[in-house]
Amino acid sequence: MTDLAALSAGGLAKAIRDKKVSSVEATKTTIEQLKACHELTNCIITLEADEALAAAKAADAAIAAGTAKGPLAGVPLAHKDMFDRKGRIASWGARIRADQPASEDATVIARFKAAGALQVAALHLTEFAFGPTGHNYVLGHARNPWDPTRITGGSSAGTATSVAYGAIPAGMGSDTGGSLRLPAAACGITSIKPTWGRVSRAGAMPLASCLDTIGVIARHVEDLALTLGFLAGPDPRDPAATSLPVPDYVARLGDPIAGVRVGVDEVVIRDAHPLVQGMVEEVLGILGKLGLQRAACRFPDWQMLDHLVQLLQMPDAAAAHNAYMRTRPNDYGPQVRARLEVGHFIAAVDHMTALRARGTYLQRTLDTTFKGLDIAILPILADPLPTIAELDVAGGPKLQAAMGRVVKYTRPINYLGLPTLTLPVPRKGGLPNGIQLIGRPYSEAQLFAIGQAYQREVPPEIARPL
Amino acid sequence: MASPEQPPAGSPAQDVAAYLDMPPERRAAAKAHVATLSATAGKVALELPLGADVDDFRRVLVAEAKQP
Repeated sequence: MTDLAALSAGGLAKAIRDKKVSSVEATKTTIEQLKACHELTNCIITLEADEALAAAKAADAAIAAGTAKGPLAGVPLAHKDMFDRKGRIASWGARIRADQPASEDATVIARFKAAGALQVAALHLTEFAFGPTGHNYVLGHARNPWDPTRITGGSSAGTATSVAYGAIPAGMGSDTGGSLRLPAAACGITSIKPTWGRVSRAGAMPLASCLDTIGVIARHVEDLALTLGFLAGPDPRDPAATSLPVPDYVARLGDPIAGVRVGVDEVVIRDAHPLVQGMVEEVLGILGKLGLQRAACRFPDWQMLDHLVQLLQMPDAAAAHNAYMRTRPNDYGPQVRARLEVGHFIAAVDHMTALRARGTYLQRTLDTTFKGLDIAILPILADPLPTIAELDVAGGPKLQAAMGRVVKYTRPINYLGLPTLTLPVPRKGGLPNGIQLIGRPYSEAQLFAIGQAYQREVPPEIARPL
Repeated sequence: MASPEQPPAGSPAQDVAAYLDMPPERRAAAKAHVATLSATAGKVALELPLGADVDDFRRVLVAEAKQP
C-alpha cells in the first residue's frame, strides 16, 4: 500500500494519475490526518471535508475520462487562511473581518485550482499574519508537532504543522518578516520565499504590501519547484507581479551546483546561540560535500536593515488596520494590537526615507555582500526552539525585544526582497531547526537545485512528538 | 482665544496618535521604540542621494534578473 504521508505533492499526483490511489481515497486520508494533526497542533481554522470529497470525486471522474488537467490533478492540499476564495470569508486568523464574502479567488488560489489541486481546509495563522511565533491570542496558539510545548513559528503556522505532520505535502503561506521561514524551520521542513514581485499578491490578505511575499511550505524541495512554476508570473490584478519569464524550475532541479559559492557573514551569525552557530557549520559541511565553496561575506549593517524594514512594515500595517484600530481596538488580540499601535508613531519622513533607501541598499548588498558569491547562508531562529510559554509576552513590555530576537535573521531580508530557501538542519533525534539560503534576485532555480541535492543527504521527515 | 472644542496645549488629545486608546506605559514604550528607528532613518538620510527614488528597488531587482 502506498504511504501517502511520505509522498511529495508531485508523487501523489502521479499515484492518482496512475490510479494507484484515487483522489477520494487521498482526500479521506488527508481529512483524517488533518484532524489528528489539529488535535496535536491546533492547525485547522475551517475543515471543508464534504466539499473536498465532492471535488475529489469529480477529479477521479475526470481522470477516468482522460480529461483531468494540471500537474496536481486530484491532490488534496490546504493553505493558510488568508487568501480570497469566491463566496467565502477568510478569517485572516482574526475576529475582525468584513461581512462581505470574496467576489473572486485570489490569483494564487486560482492557479492552484488550475493546477488541479483541491483545498481541504483553511489553516491557522497568527492573527492577521502579524507575529513570528504561532501565538494567536484570538484563535488559540499553534503547537509544534515535534513537541507541543514548543512554538511552531509564525505566521504560517498551520501550513507548517500540517506539512510537517504529513497531513498534506505542501501548502501556501506568506512572508512579510519571516512567516514562511520561521515556521518551516521550527517544524523541520522547507519553504521558498520567492523574490518580492515573483508571485501575485492579488486577493491575499495585505499586511505590509511593500514587503508581502506569497510562497510555499513543503517537505520536499521538488514541490517548491513544482508549485512556484505555476504560481509565478505576471498578473493584471497585481502591478507588482513581474512579467519576467518563469523558468522551468522542475527541469532545473538537476542543475550542477558544484562550485556554487556560498557566503558566510560570521559577524552577523555570531549573535546566534552557540548551538545555532553549530547548526550553520554543520549545514555548511554538508554543502561542502556537495561541492559548494565557502567564502566570507559581510551584509550591510544588520541592525540598520532591521530598523529600515520596521520603518516600512509598521506604518504600512498600521495604515491597513487604521479604521479598525480606531473603531474596534478591543476586537484585536493584545499582541497584534500593541504591534499595530507602533506604526502610528512613525513619522512619514522616516517611512519615506526607508522606502527611498531600499534600492540603494539592495544594490549595495548585491555589489558588496554578493560580490563573487552566488548565495549566502544565515540562521533563521537565533536560538534553539523556544517554548510557547517562554514567548508568551502578549502585548507587554517584553514584546519588542522578544519579537525582535525571533525575527533577527529573517526580517532584514524582506527589506532586500531577496529569494530565500529554508532547509532543515539534521535533527539527530532532537528538536528541529533550519537555516536559510539567500539568493540573488530571481535565482530561485539555483536555490532549488541546491535544496534538492541537500535533501539527498538530509531526507524529509514526518513529525511526531519526541 | 482657543476654541472650546480645541484641547488645551499639552493635553493627551494633542499627542501623536491620540485617537488610539493606549495606556501610558504602552504609549511610552511605542515612542521609545520608534525613537530608535527614527535615529537610524536620520543617519540613512544623511547618506542618501537626493535622487534616490522609491522605484529604485524594483529597478534594481529587474536589472539583476536581466544580467547574463
